[in-house]
Amino acid sequence: MVNERNIYKPIMASLTDVIDESPLIKTFVLVPEKGFSFKTGQFIELSVDGIGEAPFTPSSSPLITEKLEVTVMKTGYVTECMHKLKPGVLMGIRGPFGRGYPIENFYGKEVLILGGGCGLAPIRSLLYALESVTDKLEKVILCYGSKTPSDCIYKPLFARLNKIEKFETYRTVDKFEEGWNESIGVVTSLLNKIKMNIEKSVAVVCGPPIMMKFGTIRLLEMGYQEDQIYLSMEKNMSCGLGKCGHCMMGEFFVCKDGPVFTYSELKDTPDIWK
Amino acid sequence: MKPTSDDLKKIRFFDNYSDKQLDTIVRMSSVKEFRVKEILFEQYDELSEVYVLFEGSLSLGISLAREKRIHLGTIEEGQLFSWSAVFSPFISTAWVMALAPAKVISIDAKKLNKEIEKDCDFGFKTMSKIAQTISRRLSDTRFQLMNQMTL
Repeated sequence: MVNERNIYKPIMASLTDVIDESPLIKTFVLVPEKGFSFKTGQFIELSVDGIGEAPFTPSSSPLITEKLEVTVMKTGYVTECMHKLKPGVLMGIRGPFGRGYPIENFYGKEVLILGGGCGLAPIRSLLYALESVTDKLEKVILCYGSKTPSDCIYKPLFARLNKIEKFETYRTVDKFEEGWNESIGVVTSLLNKIKMNIEKSVAVVCGPPIMMKFGTIRLLEMGYQEDQIYLSMEKNMSCGLGKCGHCMMGEFFVCKDGPVFTYSELKDTPDIWK
Repeated sequence: MKPTSDDLKKIRFFDNYSDKQLDTIVRMSSVKEFRVKEILFEQYDELSEVYVLFEGSLSLGISLAREKRIHLGTIEEGQLFSWSAVFSPFISTAWVMALAPAKVISIDAKKLNKEIEKDCDFGFKTMSKIAQTISRRLSDTRFQLMNQMTL
């Protein structure tokens, strides 16, 4: 829902809550001045007056228009300033931009989701969307990896999803800490645990570039076809309109043509994992 | 305690062995149980048994010193480990510890090697499965290494 008067002018949203997800990650709960709808996987530009603007994929349900949740990892100047914000301030939202997940293509299939670190943010929104169409899906398996147990975000989400018929979740951490009783190792190691009917399945990968690279390689080894693998590419989107060129990746503008691509669309593009 | 062929049929690792081949494995195997935090073997131990995890959860890692254990990954049910027992110099490259009470199928590595030499089909299946295990572990290690390098 781009502002029709001026595509560069944000709509204002009130920050109503800030949730600590991990030492470096917070979720911002925003109430926009008017209903805001998006398709899961699309991104927005979120701004703070006098500080700047940065792209994020909402982590909340696309079915809810009166409230928006954005999960932000502290990685640079803008996100560091955002982490200092308290409820009550106004933030700007532009968008939504780009192409999200084609949920209709998942109907009648098993959905395997591989997530790493803060990549679980767009995935959470996708999971909410999938939850609303559970009857049209065969099953949904989420494999998620974080550096340590304390870096694992949305902790209550996993227990909740495991209670839903057709949903299974698995977690792993790179670094073991006392008390952790789930898997240890890279997220691809979780794929040894699961059974998928690969012909009737799609896979979604979202996370740090290195995780997406090895995740995709492993999915191909498992027998997934290139057009069965959906990648959520986050490439420094700026204008959101395919004009500025910040997010160019080969022939694609990630902000306009993506951020969700199939691997078959990207496989010949150089440096997709950078 | 000896496993049965039916036990083996429940384990993914033994998926495509014939009934006769499963009986052969049963003859060279036993079931072993381990308590939480019990060490199955240490890094650099000489190994004489190949294991397949039947039930439970195991952690695999390396040591900088005996006191400083680094957990690298978990072994999931149905996975083979301790493959070093099949190849010279028969020295383990990692330690394995029980994270939860664990039941494993322990296969005599000398007898397994003899069968691999004797029965080509059995040998091909077994070596393919071991190669897959090592390949996956190598791939995971590369991923871990790249992950560390990009932190």
